[in-house]
Amino acid sequence: MRFMMLMIPKGYEKAAPGTLPDPKAVAAMMKYNESLQKAGILLGLDGLHPPSAGARVSFSGGKPSVTDGPFAEAKEALGGYWMIQVRSREEAVEWASRCPASDNEVIEIRQVFEMSDFPSDTSAR
Amino acid sequence: MRFMVAIRANTTTEAGGPMPSTELLEAMGKFNEEMVKAGVMLSAEGLHPSSKGALVKFSGGKHRVIDGPFAEAKELIAGFWILQVKSKEEAIDWASRCPGGHGEVDHFGGEFDIEVRQVFEAEDFGAEFTPELRAQEERLRDQIAQKK
Repeated sequence: MRFMMLMIPKGYEKAAPGTLPDPKAVAAMMKYNESLQKAGILLGLDGLHPPSAGARVSFSGGKPSVTDGPFAEAKEALGGYWMIQVRSREEAVEWASRCPASDNEVIEIRQVFEMSDFPSDTSAR
Repeated sequence: MRFMVAIRANTTTEAGGPMPSTELLEAMGKFNEEMVKAGVMLSAEGLHPSSKGALVKFSGGKHRVIDGPFAEAKELIAGFWILQVKSKEEAIDWASRCPGGHGEVDHFGGEFDIEVRQVFEAEDFGAEFTPELRAQEERLRDQIAQKK
C-alpha cells in the first residue's frame, strides 16, 4: 500500500516567496531520502514553494475565482511530501518518525487510493 | 516548471464517502486524459480520509504519534495532480477547468477549493545546494525513475 508523508513546517504558511530551506536541513534530509531509497520504498518526493508564491482556485456557484497567496487565514501549510510503498500504516509511521525534522514540524501520514479501493458499482455521491 | 494542484478536503472526503459518482469519475478521467494529451500531467493521486492516517509531531528532539482524524487540521488535502507547465497561470488555468466546478457534473455540490503550489527544482537553490548535494539528488531521482 502507498502512503504519502506530508511535511508541515511550522510557520511555512507565512514564509515569503523565495524562502529556501536551511542548507543544513537539506543535507540531513538528503541522507534521510537516501535511506528511504535504499530500503526500496521511495516512489517520489517533492518540495513546495511557500503558499505566498502560489494561488487558490475556489469554486462556488459554478464559477472559479482565483486568489493569489499568501492566505491570511491559513494556520499551516504543506512544505513537501514523500510517496512511499510500505506494508502497513505502522511502517509508514515508523519511517516518518525517523525523519530529521526540526522542532515543531509535523508529518501527516495519509494512505493513497488504489484502483482496488473503488468498488465496480460506485455509488452516487 | 512543475506545480502541485491539490483539491482541499471537506466533510465528504473526510467522512470517507459517499465515493465519487460514476459521472464524476468519468468526467475526471476525461479531464486527466486531456491533460495527458496536452503533455502536462505527471501524476494524479487521491488520499484516504485523515481518519485512516496519523500525525507525527516533532518537538524538543522527540516525536509523538497521533492517530487520525485530525480535527485541528485546516489545510488537509483530498487529492492532487502534479503538472508540468510553462507558468503559474497555465497551472491555474488547468485548475480552473476541474470537473464539477462549473455545474456540469456534481462534485461536492460545486463548492470546493484547489491550491496551486510550485514544486522546487534543483535550479531554485543557490550555492548552498552544493555540487555534491545536487549529484546526490540526481542519483536519487534516477533510481526512482528506474524503479517505475
